[in-house]
Amino acid sequence: MSGVLATETASALATTLTPLQLDALEPLVPFVPLALFGVILLVGAAVSYALISFNRRLLERLGVPESVEGTAFERSVRRFGVSTVTILARLGGYLAFVVFVVLGLTTLGVDSVTAVWPAVAAFLPRLLVAAIVLVVGLIVGDKLGLLVDERLRGVKLPETGLVPSLVKWSTVYVAALIALAQVGVATTALVVLLAGYLASVIVLGAVAFRDLLASGSAGLYLLLTEPYAIGDRVRIGDVEGVVQEVDVFATHVESDEEVYLVPNRRALTDGVARKLD
Amino acid sequence: MMDSPDLVADIVTDVDEVFLFSPGQSLYDSFRAADERPVVVAPANDVGAESFVELPLSFRDVRDRIRFGVEGAMNAGITRTGETILAVLGVFDDGPDATVRVTVAESMQSGIYDLFVNSRAEPSVIRDVFEVSIELGQKGQKGNPVGALFVVGDAGKTMNNSRPLSYNPFEKSHVHVGDPIVDVMLKEFSRLDGAFVISDSGKIVSSYRYLEPSAEGVDIPKGLGARHMAAAAITRDTNAVAIVLSESDGLVRAFKSGELILKLDPEAY
Repeated sequence: MSGVLATETASALATTLTPLQLDALEPLVPFVPLALFGVILLVGAAVSYALISFNRRLLERLGVPESVEGTAFERSVRRFGVSTVTILARLGGYLAFVVFVVLGLTTLGVDSVTAVWPAVAAFLPRLLVAAIVLVVGLIVGDKLGLLVDERLRGVKLPETGLVPSLVKWSTVYVAALIALAQVGVATTALVVLLAGYLASVIVLGAVAFRDLLASGSAGLYLLLTEPYAIGDRVRIGDVEGVVQEVDVFATHVESDEEVYLVPNRRALTDGVARKLD
Repeated sequence: MMDSPDLVADIVTDVDEVFLFSPGQSLYDSFRAADERPVVVAPANDVGAESFVELPLSFRDVRDRIRFGVEGAMNAGITRTGETILAVLGVFDDGPDATVRVTVAESMQSGIYDLFVNSRAEPSVIRDVFEVSIELGQKGQKGNPVGALFVVGDAGKTMNNSRPLSYNPFEKSHVHVGDPIVDVMLKEFSRLDGAFVISDSGKIVSSYRYLEPSAEGVDIPKGLGARHMAAAAITRDTNAVAIVLSESDGLVRAFKSGELILKLDPEAY
């Protein structure tokens, strides 16, 4: 292949140069592929460098540095003297460089490279996607964990400490699954595991939050249409009194000596009687 | 220069309890290092104190601030009547610059702490209404002083003890006093006559309400107008708290159970 390329280059040169010049260039012909390889490497280096700095500016413009601030992933890569933005920016750049190196090697005619080239060309983008998915998954998992943790901070219940890490590792698990599927590892068993886990979460959630969900959707209706307002005298089921508060899940109805917390779904199932003034 | 601090040492000796108002971490740590157990009174327990009283509003009046702290501590069983306490607090600056020696007496129970913590409405809601009134008092409308009356908590009963003056602008709206939109609405607020009714959770239930409590036997300081009389009377008939911005003297006053509990000057904040 390289021989063909070299001859082609030589004949291309021959058409543009006069015979006299051709004679002078004769001893240089064997070095043409090597020079070509060098040029390709140089161009590759330039392209990958430009790509890295473009990626970096793009990521910074998108506000990635602020959003990854404080995540465990960012902190652990900081220890190695790099940042998330650097890693993501360099991934694309390095990949481009590898492509150029392979291209250069084909011009040199290294047969082993030429043989695996189509496979490598097909595999490299998938490897890149897998790496990006993994990094993004780790960061999003961290972020979600932190978010849930902050939300639960007000609840002074030590057992809730389990929830943020559960959320975090579920996200990372899904990301890892996608990344593995990208590079073609058999993930069927892991997918089955994920399906079982999701199904159990949904079933348990549906059972545990059944009443809350029913009350919540009824509460949305009550808040939007406001069939009764604070201060109205109402009867919901066997509860009678003045409405003190309506929130998403419950209506506070106060009689002379008691405050009832009526779940909003009761307002829809039992109906509401509003007393006329 | 004072060469003999001993002359005033009896202010700080023989106290049962030390109250630190909004201390820095280093001040609290140095107290802990000296094996003292000070009571911290601050907006948030940033220093990790064992005895802590949450200060909902940074009372500019030093006496109000100390009363609030002492009442809160008495409520939590930290101090008792007859004990002597030393308050370390900031008078001119936010940092501590003064020590005040106080003997806890029954008469110190002015109800400021009770107003915030033991009312029907949540403490944060009462704080938000105070902040709204203070801001309204500072801004006024086009430089002219405005008045306002907020009835907070027990909204169901308040609504039944009042009637609408006009259409309720807050009907089918779900605005709460802490919401950022309330700041934008402040100017509009001052144009509305009548009282604002706010629920226990802070929802603005109605404005344009004409309060109809029986004002018989309500005793408020002479010179206050009809707005204050209505505010005092409604808190006696219901379990609500009333917060009033006076149009004539620009002060914010709070009533509970028919009595004037707290008076604040918006200009000091």
